[in-house]
Amino acid sequence: MTVSTAVPDETTNPEPRLGRSWHIVLPLLCYLAVGAAMIIYTQSVPLDGIERGSLNLPYIFGRTWEHIQLVFYSTVLVLVVALPLGILLTRGTLRRATPFVLTLVNVGQATPAVGLVVLLAVLFQIGFWTSVAALFAYSLLPTLRNTMVGLQQVDWRLIDAGRGIGMSAARVLFKVELPMAAPVILSGIRTTLVLSVGTASIAAFIGAGGLGDLITTGVSTQRNLVLVTGCVLIAVLALMIDWVGGLAQRVLAPKGLS
Amino acid sequence: MTLWEYVEDRWDLILFETAQHASMVAQCVLVAALLGVLIGVATYRRPRLASLATASSGVLFTVPSLAMLGLLIPALGLGVAPSVTAIVLYALLPIIRNTVVGLQGVDQLVVDAARGIGMSRQRSLTRIELPLAWPVILTGIRVSTQLAMGIGAVAAYVSGPGLGEQIFSGLARLGGANAVNSTLTGTIGVAVLALLFDGCFVLLGKLTRPEGPLSRRLTTGGVRG
Repeated sequence: MTVSTAVPDETTNPEPRLGRSWHIVLPLLCYLAVGAAMIIYTQSVPLDGIERGSLNLPYIFGRTWEHIQLVFYSTVLVLVVALPLGILLTRGTLRRATPFVLTLVNVGQATPAVGLVVLLAVLFQIGFWTSVAALFAYSLLPTLRNTMVGLQQVDWRLIDAGRGIGMSAARVLFKVELPMAAPVILSGIRTTLVLSVGTASIAAFIGAGGLGDLITTGVSTQRNLVLVTGCVLIAVLALMIDWVGGLAQRVLAPKGLS
Repeated sequence: MTLWEYVEDRWDLILFETAQHASMVAQCVLVAALLGVLIGVATYRRPRLASLATASSGVLFTVPSLAMLGLLIPALGLGVAPSVTAIVLYALLPIIRNTVVGLQGVDQLVVDAARGIGMSRQRSLTRIELPLAWPVILTGIRVSTQLAMGIGAVAAYVSGPGLGEQIFSGLARLGGANAVNSTLTGTIGVAVLALLFDGCFVLLGKLTRPEGPLSRRLTTGGVRG
């Protein structure tokens, strides 16, 4: 299952430099404005005791920071594991295992995120690092899959040509294969990021903190304002991280491929 | 109690929840497929509208499902209503996008030829363009189904029906007897259901592709070049 959230907007005519850069930051400004409006609103309406406990600024920023940490740690782990593993699984004799691994990845993606999170909690313990492990296991798959698929679809004639002009296998990997596969790999990493923001909100069920705490508090105490604030902030965070992923895709992809 | 004993002991309940999950997903995807193809058909000839539809679905798509479910609680309360609404909303997005992409990908020459031999716009759409775009649309529906399976599990948090209840009752009994069994049953159940549905889509895709057995019989009477 390839879930791409890319918005097809790169095909438009090249615009003047200033106009173009404005177009890029416009969504980010919108997301920031929505998030800020939500926080300002919660600070300006009268709150009861329970609401004050969850809707004060230090609490909100603390939970946001926890959420970002959950996403950050799990994504770094994914990058450290999935990229070398994906490269390794497309080399030499291991290449024959590629279809098998891809099938396994597809089966893994059929597992519901909430099931995985709760399962790790009942098997081990609740808490931050269990959640990071669950996030890692769940969001590993898109990056691993796209690394393998991206490397697989590099034209073999280009690899032959690289070898033919005397490049070593490692040099071909770094100078030809990885740059050619970069767009696919980067879109996998972007999917990983967005998936882990969503899974991190589920991780509030197992005591990981994060903005999901506002949702569980809001539901269990029937305070809709707390609930809605949590939901809006999670949505804004996801959109902002997706935006950063989109920016990385543009900046890091080798020029002149598309 | 082993997992097997647990499943045997609660076989009726688990079977019921599995059936609920499957029927919820199937109905939601059916509604989403109808709506999504309609929206796709309505917008694909207007580039502005089409990119608006795909861009806004992209934004909605990025919003995590738990946040979407939470936002629906104040409006719809707990239970079936927010679960079904959220699933349909998420399931719409891949279908709209793939319908637009699939229809726009149909060779313009083929469409012109269809119009040239006197087909009306509707007829060209239903006889030529939609069948040619069908594999892409079907892929969208397939992705939607997988999504719906996972969101259906989260929906148990807002008291939605289905196998998610097993997962959340495992969470509620954390550390107690059967917590692991219950969670495993829910998780594996949803995964197996998702793979079963996916298998059906692979089969359906093979049967209904433009040059496949079903549509060949319907359209060209088996004449092949």
